[in-house]
Amino acid sequence: MSLYFSFLKASLKEMLIYRLDCIVGMISQIVTQLVEIIFIWIVFQNTDNLAGWNFMQILLLYGVTLISIGISDFCFDALYDIGPKYIRNGEFDKILLRPVHPLISIIGSSKEFTAFGYFFLGLFLTIAMLIKLAIPITIILILKILFFSIVGAFIIGAINTIFSISSFWTYRSNEVIWSFYKMYTFAQYPLDIYNKFVKILITMILPFAFVAYYPTMSYLGMDAYMIYIAPLIMIILWIIAIKVWNMALNKYRSTGT
Amino acid sequence: MPIIEVKNLVKTYRILEKEEGLKGYFKNLVKPKYKELTAVDNINFNIEEGELVGYIGENGAGKSTTIKMLTGLLTPTTGKVLVNGIVPNEKRIENNKNIGAVFGQKTQLWWDLPVIESFRLIKKMYKIPENEYRKNLKKFTEILELEELLEKQVKNLSLGQKMRCEIAATFIHNPKIVYLDEPTIGLDVLVKENIRKFIKDINKEKKTTVILTTHDLKDIEDVCDRIILLDKGKIIYDGEKQKFKDTYGKYVTAEFIVSSKNEEINQLTNAEVLEETQNKLKVKFMHDETTIVKIMNEISNHCKIEDIHMKEAELEDILKEVYKGVHQC
Repeated sequence: MSLYFSFLKASLKEMLIYRLDCIVGMISQIVTQLVEIIFIWIVFQNTDNLAGWNFMQILLLYGVTLISIGISDFCFDALYDIGPKYIRNGEFDKILLRPVHPLISIIGSSKEFTAFGYFFLGLFLTIAMLIKLAIPITIILILKILFFSIVGAFIIGAINTIFSISSFWTYRSNEVIWSFYKMYTFAQYPLDIYNKFVKILITMILPFAFVAYYPTMSYLGMDAYMIYIAPLIMIILWIIAIKVWNMALNKYRSTGT
Repeated sequence: MPIIEVKNLVKTYRILEKEEGLKGYFKNLVKPKYKELTAVDNINFNIEEGELVGYIGENGAGKSTTIKMLTGLLTPTTGKVLVNGIVPNEKRIENNKNIGAVFGQKTQLWWDLPVIESFRLIKKMYKIPENEYRKNLKKFTEILELEELLEKQVKNLSLGQKMRCEIAATFIHNPKIVYLDEPTIGLDVLVKENIRKFIKDINKEKKTTVILTTHDLKDIEDVCDRIILLDKGKIIYDGEKQKFKDTYGKYVTAEFIVSSKNEEINQLTNAEVLEETQNKLKVKFMHDETTIVKIMNEISNHCKIEDIHMKEAELEDILKEVYKGVHQC
């Protein structure tokens, strides 16, 4: 664990060398998200509610998602690099020669500091909507949001880790991970607007619904007992992720490149 | 007990058989045909602690594949590898604690950070005790002349500077075994000598086992006591370097500076004329076939000898001969 933070500290130093890149990245992320929010606003010009959720509730859900996305992008971004960067350039060997599990080396080298753009926008939306919706901001609520945002981020991280095994077969693994990761957008809207297939997909197969949807229901005082399964889901997903990853690595090492 | 044991080691790759033309590409896409390629073909050797071994062979002889199996990066097809009592591909992380490795020009240092930061991370990763780290850092800085490089970013270093830092990073956790794959490629002579001296010093002091693969046979000549020669996946020589030279390199080249030469010499008894100009004559001969005195006598029939330079066969020349021999039969 302390090693992970050493890696992280090194990444932070590396990142500070590219300050301007970082700021530009952050701003463009915020702009992209604002465009999507405008789109939601347009939808609500034509309707009062989506499956019983009003505009502000939807924005709260949106904000809570962004907090988790911000954290997970920050912590797990380097998974995208395995194929195009590490394996393609043969840098992966050097990671395999370290006395540490390669996932720690890789995840520790994440330095997507632009993810703070998501994080702060999400935080702003969340706080603003909680106030607008007149939900009392208690210490318990703050702790709850903190805890489940981190759990949510790690659920996304585990899903990304599972799909990062595609790196062992294709250099374009970043696109493979991205295409599955992007499905989190399904979970930025109430589950009830979807058909059965999508519901099953984001609750049971790629359980993005546990990232923000169930937690937000809980914050809104809706009936959301599902929220308490989220930590369990996170743990199970990580066990699967590490198992699958190790298997793929062993396979990779027996074929060579 | 040997620190490295290799027994009946085989590695075969399955490679795609490429077909000609665009049609071939599509055919490959639909129904790929594979063929087996044996990169390492049933090799055996033991290496004792503290040995300096040169692992040599032409491109594609299977050197890198062997090193990758020894380090646990590749799983052998069949056969056994035991490094310091561990099967590297099964307990890779444990094995990694005991070893250090340099692979050509790939750096293990953090590209954007000052060199010293990389060293600190390595210290943390290998859990090097503070005093041990300090002692090594001081010593390495001295021998490899790193003083002015430590605060520089890795990406701003020249090739030679980078490799010196790389070598230091490889040895800083006191590894029992170090694999050096082409550590001197593209470096100038002074840096090469510096690195060779470092390897020898550390080996003497810490009994570090070093396995060196290189194209620069001067590295081997200077550093190694033993050589393992690989050809097409098979070991064709394994033993002391000196013995190798004595067995295969019994010839000597001699260069004569001559004057008042009045005719072409072209031929000498039991010796080969390599080069001939008006005032120079380069001759190669075997120890057991003739002597330098006999050749001198013969040459002095044609001209006046002013000076002589003699050279024992170098590893590189001997190897050329050996390859020629092997490939002929």
